[in-house]
Amino acid sequence: MSAAHDHHDHHPSYLAPKETLGKTIMSWVYTIDHKKIGVMYLCAVLFAFFLGGVLALGVRTHLWSPAETIVQIDPSTGEEREVQKERFFRDVTITRTVMRENEAGEKVRAQEERTFTSNNIYNRVFTLHGAVMVFLFIIPSVPAALGNFFLPLMIGAKDVAFPRLNLLSWYVYVFGSLMTLGALLGGGVETGWTFYTPYSTSTEFGQTTLVALAVFVLGFSSIFTGLNFIVTVHKMRAPGMGWFDMPLFVWAIYATSIIQVLATPVLGITVLLLAIERMFNIGIFDPAKGGDPILFQHFFWFYSHPAVYIMILPGFGIISEMITTHARKPIFGYRFVAFSSIAIAAISFLVWAHHMFTAMGELAAIIFSGLTMLVAIPTAIKVFAWVATLYKGSIALNTPMLYVLSFLFLFTIGGLTGPPLAVLSTDLHLHDTYFVVAHFHYVMMGGTVIAFIGGLHHWWPKMFGRMYNETFAKLGCLLVFVGFNLTFFTQFFLGSNGMPRRYATYVEEFQTLHQLSTIGSYILAIGLFVHLGVFVMSLLNGKKAVENPWGSLTMEWDTESPPIEHNFLHEPVATHGPYDYDQPIVPPRTKPGEWPLPDMPEGDDGANTKRGMF
Amino acid sequence: MRSLPKITARSATLGAIIALALPCAPAMADGVMRRMFFPARAAEYSGPSDSVSFFIFWTTAFFFVLLMGLMAIFVVKYRRRPGQAAPRSPSHNTPLELAWSGIPLILLGMMFFFGARLYIEMRTPPIDSTVINVTAQKWGWTWEYPGGEQSLESVTLANVSSPVFAVPVGKPVRLVMNSTDVIHSLYIPAFRDKVDVIPNRYTTYWFRAEKIGEYHLYCAEYCGDQHSQMMALIKVMSDADYQEWLAEQADTSAIPLVELGRKLSISAGCLACHSLDGRPGTGPSWKNIWGNTHVMTDGESVKVDENYIRESILEPNARIVAGYPAQMPTYQGRFSDRELRAFIAYIASLSDDGAEDAERMMEEDDAEQEASEADSPQASVPTTDF
Repeated sequence: MSAAHDHHDHHPSYLAPKETLGKTIMSWVYTIDHKKIGVMYLCAVLFAFFLGGVLALGVRTHLWSPAETIVQIDPSTGEEREVQKERFFRDVTITRTVMRENEAGEKVRAQEERTFTSNNIYNRVFTLHGAVMVFLFIIPSVPAALGNFFLPLMIGAKDVAFPRLNLLSWYVYVFGSLMTLGALLGGGVETGWTFYTPYSTSTEFGQTTLVALAVFVLGFSSIFTGLNFIVTVHKMRAPGMGWFDMPLFVWAIYATSIIQVLATPVLGITVLLLAIERMFNIGIFDPAKGGDPILFQHFFWFYSHPAVYIMILPGFGIISEMITTHARKPIFGYRFVAFSSIAIAAISFLVWAHHMFTAMGELAAIIFSGLTMLVAIPTAIKVFAWVATLYKGSIALNTPMLYVLSFLFLFTIGGLTGPPLAVLSTDLHLHDTYFVVAHFHYVMMGGTVIAFIGGLHHWWPKMFGRMYNETFAKLGCLLVFVGFNLTFFTQFFLGSNGMPRRYATYVEEFQTLHQLSTIGSYILAIGLFVHLGVFVMSLLNGKKAVENPWGSLTMEWDTESPPIEHNFLHEPVATHGPYDYDQPIVPPRTKPGEWPLPDMPEGDDGANTKRGMF
Repeated sequence: MRSLPKITARSATLGAIIALALPCAPAMADGVMRRMFFPARAAEYSGPSDSVSFFIFWTTAFFFVLLMGLMAIFVVKYRRRPGQAAPRSPSHNTPLELAWSGIPLILLGMMFFFGARLYIEMRTPPIDSTVINVTAQKWGWTWEYPGGEQSLESVTLANVSSPVFAVPVGKPVRLVMNSTDVIHSLYIPAFRDKVDVIPNRYTTYWFRAEKIGEYHLYCAEYCGDQHSQMMALIKVMSDADYQEWLAEQADTSAIPLVELGRKLSISAGCLACHSLDGRPGTGPSWKNIWGNTHVMTDGESVKVDENYIRESILEPNARIVAGYPAQMPTYQGRFSDRELRAFIAYIASLSDDGAEDAERMMEEDDAEQEASEADSPQASVPTTDF
């Protein structure tokens, strides 16, 4: 006992500061520890989330009232005159210096005024909201932040397979993000996050090329992470852990990584072609130069539809972890749930053209509509399995569990509003309306982001060794739930009544619903700030967390909170499954002196005890 | 067992609410839901499209209530009680798992089938359709009716002047659409259909309007600054009214030049970019520019006169006013000579110094009109044969 205790003291937590501040900073800058990289990703994606959120509030505030012409009395002359009512985003006039030829043919500096209309500003803001949220926040959020931190811990590994590549992926991500921020400061882009051609190749005074290249760079970060995780899962599982002993979060991250590695290069090529077209005037997508604009949509969605599953699959994984731990039940139908992740990854490559039903030939549209219906099946399997997992459980209504319930409610709405968009005749009406906006926010935010916030609450004690204030966390969860529904449920009605998306103004009949949505977005923002406050207070003076505060059976809880630098004191052995909550006695995994197990043949180092396919 | 009476009381209340609500439900469902969910149904396929929607809605609503109901019951019934461990329960059941994979598959197959069948009808225009050529551009719609007529009627929608397009009730109409610049999408919610308008190919939108009335037409594919104001009003009218409307649009000879310029600037989408109150938009305002000097991006100074305006319409990118993007599409071949003069006169009339010039142009025009009427009295009779 005392020997183990001594042992313990020589292994500081990964968060422990070094002798000097400089060394501490260097220990983060040059770190190859997956946990530190995970925390660095967490900070970066939370900043991106904040930025994207502020832009979203700008969009919602602008839509409080439509554009209006009002009659004003001119104070100087007393005459009545018609003026445009000021809205949240105003017309902005800037003066810039340009080079011009004078009469003598010499280049001289000249001042030039340029006005950006309020519509134009609005377009730039919604474009950046989309681009920041998709490329800087949601795609890296769960895999790169929580995945980096917990995937090695959950399979009992010391680190990921390629720690240096892992650090590189973070720096590449930061570099790509800085390019995006540079584009924002340089005036932004007004193409929409989808960069549809030929609009995106014809816009002026924007930073479209820079953002396209930023997306190209960010893609590499995504590929590095995916590659790393695939190898890690294949090669670095703890002795005794077969494929079907892996936690479902690992399955989900594994499926995600496959999509990242296979699909992201296509996006890279597409945005590179776009940049080439803009920079060198080569006609690839612009019909005026002999290109084809629909080709761009095919290329773009061939990545961006699988990307939807890059965003949501890790969220599924988090929910499986949280629901089993906090209901103390094995997941219902482990293999169906595990294989449904792989099925989603596979089908996701066959459905991209459902984004283009109004721009395509009839035969192709019918085929893609049929294929799209298939992706609903593995998703439905998961939702049924989660609800069945609650049956006869012992359900703790703590913050992570409230987030699970919130996820099930919101994601089910998000999922069930998919069929009207996949079915052809109804999509003709709903395509490119607020119905689509509401649908994908229910999936992306109600699904992924809710799972991400829930996962943060679930794993927070492990990551930072501190507990948080449950009461305020629950209050935040409630505000987020109410605010989210008010913001986006109203948008289903806006859309089915015919309000197109990406509109800077609208006809009067839509104003009430728009205002409800705007009020909801403020409540949502307040809820998120409550969470931020809870986390900051926890870091400052939260109660110290024990090793396994939830009594979870997955491996990441078998080390200290926060974990020691090399994760485990002893190499862990998978002596039981991740969800064996129904087993009467659960043997400990990482205590010294138990490996090799008594019934193992002599000389067996555990390498042959892995079960399963590989 | 202790919690039994409480649950009974609660479920009794719930039962009473459901018992009261049930008889009203079918009546409410149709009227209220259609009004809540969808705009007016004005075309042949609006009704069938809504029926597919409601099939999907009720199917998904059933599963939502089932899942959320079970979840709520489980959370209440199996909430954690201190000192009580969860009883052992099955964590796997192959028939159940196959059922919840198979039943959704069948239902989704039905949704797909109903949707695809209707879609094929919605994409098969009858052979006797009236063909209208539609041109989309940043930011406006032009409809060229079979006799070459274009709409001169306008209305204010979403704070901008937008064109009005008439269509006959009960007759199939086929829009053959093309874009001169970026991708747009023609969307009429009351007809439940939208089709993208693409620069390098023709696309087709067809409908048979069934209800006389006025309906909004939107652009549904993001196309820039004035995307949200790229609207039009569709007027579904009786065949007689429609013919009369067409005749009105065809004969422009009686419209004074300045007034014609005003009407055309709305129907051709000019005012989406060029304001009349001096506010700079995507293009320069038209207020008080006649006779003034514009500085171009290449530093050249140009006086705004007849020739400059004519060039700006036909070859907009030949010279760009400094501080503005080169956004305007060409209008080559779109306007007759008189229509071009109408623009010039209208723009002149918007300047304090241009009133005299506009007046002079109108007098010249009147004289010309009289002369041409004397020459060929048939010239202004509209073609109504299609």
